[in-house]
Amino acid sequence: MSALTHEQWAEALREGDLLGVTCTDCGRTYATPFLVCDECKSRDLERTALPREGVVYSETTIQVPPRDFDGPYQVGMVEVDGAKVMARLEGGAAIGDRVVFDDVLEEGGDPAPVFRVEE
Amino acid sequence: MPRASVVGAGMTKFGVHDSTLSELFAGAALSAFDDAGVGPDDVDALYFGNAMGGQTENDTHLAPKAASRIGLAGVPCQRYEDACATSANAFKNAVHAVETGVHDTVLVGGAERCTPVTGLGTDEMTRIFASASDRHYEQPTGLTFPGVFALLTKRHMHEYGTTEEQLAHVAVKNHANGQFNPNAHFGKETTVEEVLETPVIADPFRLMDCCPFSDGASAVVVTSTDRADSFDAPVDVSGVGHATDVVPLGAKPVPHHTQAARDAAAQAYDQSGTTADEMDLAEVHDCFTGAEIMASEAIGFFEDGEGGPAAEAGRSALDGDRPINPSGGLKAKGHPIGATGTAQIVELTEQLRGDAEDRQISGAEKALAHNLGGDAATTVVTVMEVRG
Ligand SMILES: [Zn+2]
Repeated sequence: MSALTHEQWAEALREGDLLGVTCTDCGRTYATPFLVCDECKSRDLERTALPREGVVYSETTIQVPPRDFDGPYQVGMVEVDGAKVMARLEGGAAIGDRVVFDDVLEEGGDPAPVFRVEE
Repeated sequence: MPRASVVGAGMTKFGVHDSTLSELFAGAALSAFDDAGVGPDDVDALYFGNAMGGQTENDTHLAPKAASRIGLAGVPCQRYEDACATSANAFKNAVHAVETGVHDTVLVGGAERCTPVTGLGTDEMTRIFASASDRHYEQPTGLTFPGVFALLTKRHMHEYGTTEEQLAHVAVKNHANGQFNPNAHFGKETTVEEVLETPVIADPFRLMDCCPFSDGASAVVVTSTDRADSFDAPVDVSGVGHATDVVPLGAKPVPHHTQAARDAAAQAYDQSGTTADEMDLAEVHDCFTGAEIMASEAIGFFEDGEGGPAAEAGRSALDGDRPINPSGGLKAKGHPIGATGTAQIVELTEQLRGDAEDRQISGAEKALAHNLGGDAATTVVTVMEVRG
């Protein structure tokens, strides 16, 4: 039994919820599905709802996009509850800035979270 | 005790080639045969690297196709794919095969075409390169490969104060080295100021921080250490480390540490009984300038956070105390993905034979190659030494 499938992760994202998994043995949280904890190798992972607020861990602005995307746009890793999720960023975020998950992007065939700099 | 020996090495010039993948590989393979003084009858297997031929050219099952052109049909042939670490992984397996006696002598190498000769424009090739990032948790954001390394580098800058000027010094050095490599795609005298004036691709990277799209091939003949005695110019392989890290990037505890590179380097040093301080030079995977700085720390040439200042101070230049990428690296020599790993082995072989002419690191006896794949989730590190 998987605590969280990709389909469930994607469907929740479309409905405005960011899901991850937490290892009940070592406590590590991941912002994407895993069947086994990378840290301690436990299979006891449970689904967890991640907070909507996070902090920018790193970011860059893509000036030369791949096919199917229109640039420029900002991409970054956002720390939410100790986990890092790859996201689209809005509002000119810098490392350390507080950002809020408030939209979903579907340009690439699968959904991606959009975080915006907190007012 | 070395694990295997390289007895022949060859590569095409990296750049723009209108020839097919099999023709490209044949150019490198036949020059490796000639360098070793062997022919197809002396080779027991082909370990072939190509990362993207299925996507770029609708061309797969490439190992027997490449073998057929050079008289190798009949021997076991296999193809490897590990993003940019493709042919280093083929090399690792070839070393293991001759070490354990599965085969006596193996031809190992790779070929790739990434320039517009494939008929693909920048946006399409950028999309194909991005296929090595996580399909479900990274690609949908529009992340590109310059973007992946920009994220790692920007965090490195945040943690240690690494500057854009220090990144530019890596580009200036590698372009300077490329001038002395007849097989390099690029090479010229340039300045930090000129690098900083080129257009931004994914900040902090400008055009001159990024390796080019290149076509090319490379190949080496690997044999057992016993058999190597009968060849003219064997160079020993004393360690090959190979490690992976968790994907996606966000699941890596400290992404800019490039942990797989640290683990692979530790394995290679352990197997060879050497340390970073003993290496006379390194070829590292500088797909972007920031990647060279992170690699220089991961292989232990510099302390964490010192890679940028070391590049700025000229310590990794040809005449520095820790030379890195005398070939020009991916940045200037070029980066035909599946050919890059064994091209690093070609450079180590030439350096350790003392045949590297104007880019020769004088008295080089031990050297290291660091070939990284994907979002740093694969790294192969090789230590080679002058035969004792
Ligand atoms: Zn755990």
